[in-house]
Amino acid sequence: MKKFVNDPENFVHDMLEGVYLANQDKLRWVREYNIFYRADLPSDKVLIMQGSGSGHEPAHSMIVGPGMLDASCPGNVFAAPPMDYVLECTKILANPKGVIHLINNYQGDRMAWDMAKELAEAEYPDLKIGVVIINDDVAVQDSTWTVGRRGVAGNFFIIKALGAASEQGKSVEELVALGEKVNSYTRSMGVALSSCTPPAKGSPIFEIGDDEIEVGVGIHGEPGRRRDKIRPASEIVDELFEAIYTDLPFASGDRVAVMVNGLGGTPISELYLLYGLVAKKCAEKGLAIAKNYVGNYCTSLEMAGMSITLSKLDDEIEGYLNAPAEIPIRVF
Amino acid sequence: MENLTQAQAELIVATIADTALANEAYFSELDAVMGDADFGTSLASGFKVVKANWETYDHSSIGALLLNVSSALTSNTGGCSGPVWGTLFMRTGIAFRGKTELSLGEIIAGLESAIEGIMKRGGAKLGDKTLLDALDAVVNSYKASLEADVSLPEAFDNAAEAAYQSRETTKGWVAMRGRQSFTGDRSIGTYDPGIVAIGDMAKAIAAALRAA
Repeated sequence: MKKFVNDPENFVHDMLEGVYLANQDKLRWVREYNIFYRADLPSDKVLIMQGSGSGHEPAHSMIVGPGMLDASCPGNVFAAPPMDYVLECTKILANPKGVIHLINNYQGDRMAWDMAKELAEAEYPDLKIGVVIINDDVAVQDSTWTVGRRGVAGNFFIIKALGAASEQGKSVEELVALGEKVNSYTRSMGVALSSCTPPAKGSPIFEIGDDEIEVGVGIHGEPGRRRDKIRPASEIVDELFEAIYTDLPFASGDRVAVMVNGLGGTPISELYLLYGLVAKKCAEKGLAIAKNYVGNYCTSLEMAGMSITLSKLDDEIEGYLNAPAEIPIRVF
Repeated sequence: MENLTQAQAELIVATIADTALANEAYFSELDAVMGDADFGTSLASGFKVVKANWETYDHSSIGALLLNVSSALTSNTGGCSGPVWGTLFMRTGIAFRGKTELSLGEIIAGLESAIEGIMKRGGAKLGDKTLLDALDAVVNSYKASLEADVSLPEAFDNAAEAAYQSRETTKGWVAMRGRQSFTGDRSIGTYDPGIVAIGDMAKAIAAALRAA
C-alpha cells in the first residue's frame, strides 16, 4: 500500500486538520470529536448535521457551509461516529429552532445517533431533534451492516434540499417531511472496478481480480448483487440505470436531477463519458434532466468505480437544489 | 429499607467491570457454543476503558458517573454489546441524575427504564432469551424485596439468586435475537452469555456489598 499518510491511526485527524487550516475563516474544529461546524453558525434557523464514517470525502466533513450542513461529526474511516461525537455535536448546535440529524441507514450509525438523541433530549428537554434516515441504494435489500437499504451518494440531494430549506426558515417538522420526500424520490446504485485500503487497516477491504467488477457495491466495499467481468461502459450503465429507473418507478415526462458520482479512483474523464451514456438513457425514457452533478461527491477512499443517482424533482425540490450554497471544496 | 449510598453504587459499577474483565475468556467460550465467540472480549474491551478512565469521570452524582460509563461502553465495546450495555448505563444514568443515594424504588424505576431502552434499541422482547430476561428477574426480585421490606444487602442477595436462576429458567428457551437466533432450535439447552453475565455480576455485587 502506498498512501500519503504519517501515522495511519491519525489519518482522519490529520485530514481534518488540513481541511481546517485551509478554511480557518469558515470552519470551527473540535479536534477531540472530529466535529466541524460553521464559523458563522446561524442562531435563527434549524441546524443540520450529518456524521457517517470518514473515507467518503467530500461527504461529509468537506460539505459544511451555508446552504449545506451546519456541522459534521464523522467517525473513523468507514466507521459510524461514536455516540459521544454525535452528542457533543448536537450540543454545539442546540438552539430554540431545533436540530436535524441526517443519518445514513447503517445499524452502527442508527444506534449511535439514537442514543445521542436520547441523551441530548434528556439534557435539553426543550430541544427539538428531527431525524431523517437516508436509504437510496437499490442494489441490495439488506447488507453486511444494514437492515434495509443502504444510504449512499443520494444523501447529497437530501443535504442540499434541507440545507437550502433551513436557510429559508423551515421548521423541524417541515424539514423532516422534505427530507423524507427527497429520500423517497432518490435512487442510486454503484459499481466497483477496484478495492480500497483504509490507512489503519493496511490491506484492501476486499479482493477483486484485474478483470472483475462488483455490481451494486456499497460505499464501504460491501458486496453488491454479484461479481462480474468488466464490460463496455454502456452495458454497465444500462444495467445500473434499469435497476434505478424501474425501482421508483420513474416515468416519461419526469424532471430529474442526475448524479454520476466517482468513488475516488476514477478520473473525471471517465465520469463524463459515463454521464453522456446516462443522459442518452434519460432521453430514451423521456426523462428531462433539470440538474446534473458529475464528480466525486461520496467516495470510498481510492476505490475505482462510480455510482449513478436519479432524483425525481418537483418545483419545491428544484428550487432548493438551485439555491446558493458554499462549501470548502472549490475549484476557483 | 436503607438507601444505597454513592460509595455503594460506585462499588457496584466497579464490581460489574471487574466481573467482565475476570470472565473475558469464559464469556467468549459461552458465546462460541452458538454465537461468534466475541462476547467476552467485546465486553472486556469496553470495561477496560472504564477502569482506565475511572479517575477522570464525573463523580458528582451516581447518574453523572453512569453516563460517563455509558459513553465509554458505547464507543469501546464491539458488536451489538456496545449499544446494549451503553443503553443500560445511559438509561440508569438519566434516571439517577443528580442523585447521591438511591432508594430501592428508584433503582427499580431506573432498571425498568433501561429494559425499555434496550428493547427499543435492539428490538428484543422479554422471553427472547437475552440479558433482558435476567434484568427482568432482578427487577421482579427487587419488587418482592421492597414489598417484604428486607434489608438492602438482603435485597441484593435475593436479586443475585434470581438472576443466577434465570440462566437455568431460560436454558430451555429458543434464542430469538442476536447471532444465537440464527441457530434456531439448536439454541435450546444452551446458556445465553448475556444472561450468564448478568447472573455472575449480580452475585459478585451482592458479595461485594456484604464485604464492604
